[in-house]
Amino acid sequence: MLKPLSSAQWDFAKAAHLLNRAGFGGSPAEIQKLADLGLDRAVAHLLDYENIPDPTPKPDWAKPDPERMAKIQQAIRSNNAEEKRQMIQEQQQIQRRHIMELRNWWLARMASGPRPFQEKMTLFWHGHFATSVDKVRDAYFMWRQNELFRRLGTGNWQKLLIEVGKDPAMLVWLDQAQSRKDHPNENFAREVMELFALGEGHYTEHDITEAARALTGWSLDRQNECYTYRPFSHDNSDKTIFGQTGNFDGDDFIGMIVAQPQAARFITAKIWNFFAGQVPSEVLNADLAAVFRANGSNFKPLLRALFRSAAFYAPDIVRNQVKSPVQWLVNSVRVLECELPPPLVSWGMLRQLGQDLFAPPNVKGWDGGITWITTNSLLTRYNDAQALVEGQLPPLSAGDFGNKGKTNGQKAMKALQRVRMGGVKVEKILTPEERTDKDTIVAALEHRLFQTRLSSEHEQTLSEFLDAKTNLSNADILTTIHLMMSTPEYQVT
Amino acid sequence: MKKEFTLQTRREFLRRTVLGSSLAWTVPAFLANTFSALQAEAADSATQTATGKDASILVVLQMAGGNDGLNTVVPYANDFYHRARPKIGLKPADVLKINDAVGLHSAMKGFKELYDAGQLSVIQGVGYPNPNRSHFRSTEIWQTASDANYIEKRGWIGRYFDNACPGADPTVGVTIGSQLPQAFFASKPKGIVFSNPQNYRFLANGAATEESYRKLNELEMSSPAPEDNSGGSIAMLPAGMPMTGGRAVDFISRTAMDAQHSSDQVRAIAARVQNQAEYPASQLGGELKLVAKLIGGGLPTRIYYVSQGGYDTHTNQIGSQQRLLGDLADSVKAFTTDLKAQGNMGRVLVMTFSEFGRRVSENANGGTDHGAAAPMFIIGNKVKAGLLGHYPSLAPQDLYQGDIKYNVDFRSVYAGVLENWLKTKSAPILGRQFAPLPVV
Repeated sequence: MLKPLSSAQWDFAKAAHLLNRAGFGGSPAEIQKLADLGLDRAVAHLLDYENIPDPTPKPDWAKPDPERMAKIQQAIRSNNAEEKRQMIQEQQQIQRRHIMELRNWWLARMASGPRPFQEKMTLFWHGHFATSVDKVRDAYFMWRQNELFRRLGTGNWQKLLIEVGKDPAMLVWLDQAQSRKDHPNENFAREVMELFALGEGHYTEHDITEAARALTGWSLDRQNECYTYRPFSHDNSDKTIFGQTGNFDGDDFIGMIVAQPQAARFITAKIWNFFAGQVPSEVLNADLAAVFRANGSNFKPLLRALFRSAAFYAPDIVRNQVKSPVQWLVNSVRVLECELPPPLVSWGMLRQLGQDLFAPPNVKGWDGGITWITTNSLLTRYNDAQALVEGQLPPLSAGDFGNKGKTNGQKAMKALQRVRMGGVKVEKILTPEERTDKDTIVAALEHRLFQTRLSSEHEQTLSEFLDAKTNLSNADILTTIHLMMSTPEYQVT
Repeated sequence: MKKEFTLQTRREFLRRTVLGSSLAWTVPAFLANTFSALQAEAADSATQTATGKDASILVVLQMAGGNDGLNTVVPYANDFYHRARPKIGLKPADVLKINDAVGLHSAMKGFKELYDAGQLSVIQGVGYPNPNRSHFRSTEIWQTASDANYIEKRGWIGRYFDNACPGADPTVGVTIGSQLPQAFFASKPKGIVFSNPQNYRFLANGAATEESYRKLNELEMSSPAPEDNSGGSIAMLPAGMPMTGGRAVDFISRTAMDAQHSSDQVRAIAARVQNQAEYPASQLGGELKLVAKLIGGGLPTRIYYVSQGGYDTHTNQIGSQQRLLGDLADSVKAFTTDLKAQGNMGRVLVMTFSEFGRRVSENANGGTDHGAAAPMFIIGNKVKAGLLGHYPSLAPQDLYQGDIKYNVDFRSVYAGVLENWLKTKSAPILGRQFAPLPVV
C-alpha cells in the first residue's frame, strides 16, 4: 500500500517540491498558492489540467502538406542534379526553421503555459520514446508526436503504446514504415519490448522475429503524411509470441505486451525514477504497479497516488535530483521571472548541456541523473546562468549548432549577432523591503532559487562578496544571483 | 586574476576532510588521489605509477551504431559474401586489397597507408559469447567488459583507473564530447569531459566574482560517506536508469572541484600547442585534432576517448558507410601525421571498437541489421602489424542466427592493451585472466 502524506506535514517546502517535480517550479507566490490549497487540492490543481483552458495556438505549419511532399518527390525523381540539390536544400532549410520554432513553442508551454504537469508528462514521454528529428526529418511529424503525448500521456498504457506505434514519426524512427511481409524489419518489435514496455530479459530473440511479422502492415502514407494499414504487407500466418500462438496483428501484440506482469512494473519504475529521481525499491515499485493495475493501467490515478504519497516527500527524494538541462532552463526562467532566451540561444544552450529537444542521442533517450553532470556541462551551466541573468549572449561557438558541415554553424553564429537577451529585472524579484541589507537580499534570493537555506559557509561567501561593494547596485545583485546559480546546490531540485 | 588551485588549499582540504575520516567517494578525485599516492609511495605497489609525461597513451575510438565489419574488412573473394549481399556487396575492384582474400573498404586509403607502413593491425572476428543485438546492451558489454549475462556498472577504463592510477590527476582520462562514457564509470570516478577548450572555464566579470565562485565550489559535504564506496559512484541499472549512492549534490561538488582544477590546465595547453597536420572538417577530425594538442602539451593523460556516430545502417548503407569510413581513415591518418611531427607517435596507441557488426545477409532496404562479430583496428608504431586472428567463416552452416561467430574475445584485446601497452595486470581490471592478444 502506498501510504499518503499526512496533511499535517504539508507546507511550503513540500509544495515547492511538488511544483518542481510535477512541473518546472515557480516563483514564491506560485508555491505559496499551492501550499494554501492543501496536499490533495494542490495535486488535483496540477493533474486535472483539463479544467484549465489552454489557448496556445499550434504552429501555423503544423498540418499535412501534400504540396511539399509532391515537391520532394519531384526533387527525388529529377534528372537535373542542380535543380535536385537546390530543392533539397530549400526543404532542409524550411525543416530547420520549423523545428527551431517547434522547440521554442514547446519550451514556452513549459515556461509559461497554464498546464505545467501536462508538459512535464509530455517531456517524460519524449525521453521515453526518444524519437529524433535527425532521422525523422519532418517537423510536422515531430509536432504530431508531441501532441500525441500531450493528448494521451496520462491515459491508458495500451492505447498510448498502440497510438505511438502508429505515429508517423515513430514509423520512420524505428523503420516500421519499411517493414514488409517478405522482409519484416525488427527494429520497432525489438525496441517496444526492450526499451518501451518490458525491459531486457523479458522476451526472447524469437519473440522479436515473430512480433516483427505480427506488426507487418502498419505503415506510413507518405503522400498524406499519416498512418495507413497495408493488408497486402501483413503476414497472415501464425506467430508464436510469449508462448502463445495465433494469427496476431500489431494491436494484438501490443495487447499481449501490456498483459505481461512485467509491463506494469517496468513503466511504474521508470515513472518513479523520472519524478522522484531515484530507482524505486522493489517493495515500493510493487505498490506502484499495484495502483497502476488496479486502475486499468491508466497513468493519471497512478500519478495522483504518487504525488500524494509520503514516499515522494522523503528526505532522500527531496532536493536530490539533478535538474535536466530542460528543467534547469525552464525552472530558471520561472524562478527569475524572466523571458526564455530567443530560439537560437535556447537551442544552443540545450545542445551544449546535452539535451537537444526533438533530438535525443539514441533510442534509449537521455540517461539523465548524474550523467547530466560532467566537468564541462557544469561550467557551461554556470556560464549560461550568467547569460540568462545579465542578459548577455552565452559563450556559443559554431560547433554547438550541429556537426553537419561548417555552414550551418557559421550561419547560426551570424544570426546570433542580431539576437538580444532579456536578462533579469531586479525590481521584479526583490521588494524594497527585501533589499534593505545584504542579509535580507541573500535570504530572499535563497528562498526564491532554492526554497531552502544554503550552508553557512556559502552564505558567508555571498555576504563577503556583497560587503565589498560600497553602493549596492542592481548589477551587484545580478552577479549575486549568478553566483548562487554557479553552485552545485543549484543543479539539484 | 586567475587563481591557481594552490597546494595550500589542497592541504586545507586534506585537513578538513580526508584526514578526518576514511577516503570517501565524495572527496574530489585529485585530492583523494594525492592522498592515496602518498600512501602508495610507501607501500610496495606492483603497478606502474600512471602519471608523468613520458607514459604510454591509449586513444579509444568508438564507432557507434554497429559498424558493418563485412564491408569494412571485405572478404571480396568469398562467394558466400557475394551471395548474401547481391546489392551492397563490394566487388574486388572496390576494395584496397590486403591479400588475395580480404581488402579494406575503398574509402579507407588512410588506413591502407598505415597498414603498408606496418602501423595498423586488423583484428578479425572480434566479439564475445552469447552476443546481444541491442545497441545499448552490447555497448554496455563492450564498455564494462562484462559477460553478456552479467550486468556490470563500472567500466573497464574506470576499473583501470581504480586499479592502476593512484595519485593521478582528474585529467588521467579525457573524453572529448558532452557525456562521460560508461567505460569511465568507476568506484572513484576520474576523468574530465569537454568539447571546446575555449569555453571550458568559468566566465567571471571581475576578480571578486571569480574568487567567490572558487569558494562556492570548494567543498560541501551534506552527508557522511557510504561505508562501501564501490556502490557509491555512477551506476547504471539494467533498464538504463542512473542512480547515485550518496546525495547528488556531493557528486556535483566533486565534479565542480575537478572542473576548476582541469580548466586551468587544458586552456593553457590549447592556447600554446599548434597542430601540425590537416584534419577533415568532421566531428571526429575535430576531436582527434584536440587530442593531438593535449598530447603535445603534455597533459598527464593515459586514456583519451573519442567517438564517431552513424554506423546504424539499416537503410541505404553504401553511401553513409563510405562517408563514415572515409572520415575515420582520414581523421586517424591526420592524427598520426600530427603525432609524428610532435615526436609523440611512439607513445600513442589508437584502438577502435563498435558494439557489434551486422547481419551477413543484406536486408530489403539496401542496408544491414544488427549482427555480432566484427573487426577492430589498432594503430601505432609498435603494433603487431597485419591481420590478426582469422576471418570467421561465412558458410551458412557456420553462422548463428545469420551472424558470423567471433573467434577473438574483445577482452583478450583489452588484456593485450592493458598488459603490453599500459603495463598493468589485466585480471584485476577485467575480472579474470583473458589470454592477452599480443597487439604490440
